[in-house]
Amino acid sequence: MSAPNCLRCLLRPSAGIPVSSLPRSTPFALVRAAPFTTTTANPRPKKEAQADGKPKNHTRAGKKLKLGKFKKEKVGDRGRPPLPGERKAYRKRITLSNDNAIPVPWLTDLGSADLANPANMARVMALPVELQDQLRASEAFKPTQCWGMFRKPAVLVRKETVDLANRMQNAVDKRQTLRLVVTGDKVTGKSMMVLQAMAHAYLNNWVVIHIPEAQELTTACTEYAPIPNTDPVQYMQPVYVLKLLQAIKRANENVLARTYTVNPHPELSQSVPPNTPLLALANAAKEPDAAWPVFQALWSELTTQGANRPPILLSVDGLAHIMKISDYRSPAFDLIHSHDLALVRLFADALGGAVQLPSGGAVIAATARNNAPRTPSMELALAQREAEQARAEAQANGLDPNAVEVPQKDPFFRGYDDRVEAVLRSVQVLRVRGVDKLEARALMEYWAASGMLRATVDEKTVTEKWTLAGSGVLGEMERAALLTMRI
Amino acid sequence: MPPRLNFWSACRALSLQTRVFAQGPQPGPAAVARGLADNTTSRLPPHDNSSALPPSMLPMNQQPTSSENEAALNQLRLIEYGLNPLDPAVEGHKYGLPELPLPTEKHTKHRYDAVIHQITRLLMRDGKLAKAQRDMAMILNYLRTSPPPRLDPSKPLLPGAPPAHHLPLDPVLYLGLAIDSVAPLVKMRGFKGLAGGGKSLEVPMPLRARQRRRTAFLWILDVVNRKPSKGSGRTMFPHRVAEEIVAVVEGRSSVWDRRLQVHKLGTANRANLMNANIKGKL
Repeated sequence: MSAPNCLRCLLRPSAGIPVSSLPRSTPFALVRAAPFTTTTANPRPKKEAQADGKPKNHTRAGKKLKLGKFKKEKVGDRGRPPLPGERKAYRKRITLSNDNAIPVPWLTDLGSADLANPANMARVMALPVELQDQLRASEAFKPTQCWGMFRKPAVLVRKETVDLANRMQNAVDKRQTLRLVVTGDKVTGKSMMVLQAMAHAYLNNWVVIHIPEAQELTTACTEYAPIPNTDPVQYMQPVYVLKLLQAIKRANENVLARTYTVNPHPELSQSVPPNTPLLALANAAKEPDAAWPVFQALWSELTTQGANRPPILLSVDGLAHIMKISDYRSPAFDLIHSHDLALVRLFADALGGAVQLPSGGAVIAATARNNAPRTPSMELALAQREAEQARAEAQANGLDPNAVEVPQKDPFFRGYDDRVEAVLRSVQVLRVRGVDKLEARALMEYWAASGMLRATVDEKTVTEKWTLAGSGVLGEMERAALLTMRI
Repeated sequence: MPPRLNFWSACRALSLQTRVFAQGPQPGPAAVARGLADNTTSRLPPHDNSSALPPSMLPMNQQPTSSENEAALNQLRLIEYGLNPLDPAVEGHKYGLPELPLPTEKHTKHRYDAVIHQITRLLMRDGKLAKAQRDMAMILNYLRTSPPPRLDPSKPLLPGAPPAHHLPLDPVLYLGLAIDSVAPLVKMRGFKGLAGGGKSLEVPMPLRARQRRRTAFLWILDVVNRKPSKGSGRTMFPHRVAEEIVAVVEGRSSVWDRRLQVHKLGTANRANLMNANIKGKL
């Protein structure tokens, strides 16, 4: 294309400028530009008046009758409308790398013992590629987290992380089950704590079963059906369970291929003889109808005592959603309690301590703050467990334990739920708070080394962002330093 | 008539406090640094009694009253010797004093880049500035996570622009460069009825930098509002804007044609600047 005007200035060919100096391809004579003149009073070039192709002879400029002038302006062709689910997929897509970011030279990959090592506290460490695939398969990454900004996904090893990984390791060493609820304020990194627990489990060859969003189970957005021969009636969610099975299969492929069945499973349509890899058992579910029996068979195999079984991590994000009455209805049109949904019940039993895992393991649930229904029983139970922990700690330190008050039930409130209380009677509570300045500094150095934070990371900057973020709340630090207009 | 200026009138204008007032709060280090500004007794240069002042107007003999005073007097003595005992960057400040003059981003109202500041307000709808700021942050975030633009040599950016692969890591520059590059230089101003036959006389007028940016961004917003959106949720609008910004830098955007059109019109009509009818109206 050749523009009659220069793009950067108002220069136009005229007699004063030599043709050779003009950046154009059309010959000078062909350009239909008039030489500079002061005589014309007609501002419009003739071509424009005739642009619409109609002869102008008999139409007069001026008032014209225009029908339908209040009609809405027609919007141009918007093309193909998006298919169902396409917009959501675009919204929920997860990018784990940014090729523009500078690779950080001192970033090391996580090893199997790194998350439990106190020497790694306040260090940023990268997730190895196979771990990324496992975490992605089990949907541990969330679209609101800032994974897409850096060259490769990396996590900050916090004090709480080391604490949690050590607790998990101790539980497995004693063949016990760690039952723990991660709680804390908004954007303090609760989901990230679950992700780090999962990373620790994957790196140590555990089997991980992760429910990424508990609300998908109870907001009546997936199909459900009563399970025959159960009293009281339980409900399975075949479509969700099939999806979960596939995620388990993809994420735990190596471990499941090395673990073999010990019991026959006559209830399955496909014959699964003993000594079959669990991966093949998980593969038996091809359609939603078969999903729940297969999942049950897989779970019973994983929890068989006496066989050589890997440790198990059960994790869920958004605990409040499965600690309330669900939105599903029974045939009598009564609301179904979440714990009557079979998958949720399995998880709740494990969290309550009713299930004995053969090689030990952990059941970790994280609460959510933004998307969480009110669950007074859960809130009360967590506050009570926290107060009891504080008491025990005070006693261990030689302080007066009675100084810590354990909150009690409001006797005039009816909204408590006994089943929820029973589940949360003996869990541990891990409260996630803001990071300290050392950790904040490590994180900000990583941001700066990636080229995402364009500032010198010194004590002043770190203190500034740490304070802006309400004493080092991680999400707020990201908002203050990364997701801002001041880059 | 002004009062006469002599020594006695000056003495009458002085109000001297000969007694020490009730003890105020302990002077802090800052007060000491200010050189005894909270000392409640006035001080006069010492003078001999031969000036024949009445005894009530003679100042009391000043003695250092406290250790702070002593320290301050020592500092004054150091000053007298030409040494600087007070380094305000060290004294009493945890992080030192800021360097003056303050850089513009330290000012509340000018904390953002000028282009960003202006364009955020152009993005704003219904007075929701915070939402516009979040949108702007998302636009910048999109720019720095998208691959470097492939520049089109037929749509040159501003001279002096950095190479394309530098742009994503400096999204503010990226955005400013896109907007400044498509910004028009002139606008057409119509003088009613001066062209004869009831037609208006179109005269090209130069635009200031802010006006140019505004025009350019409004053109971009026009294109954005006509585009269908791919996603849903809060990133929908900012991502469309950011895609258009990338299109501008890559030379794919229709905003370039619009700019060209305005410039053509401007050059065609520049003769009208000499029209006798508008003399004195510009």
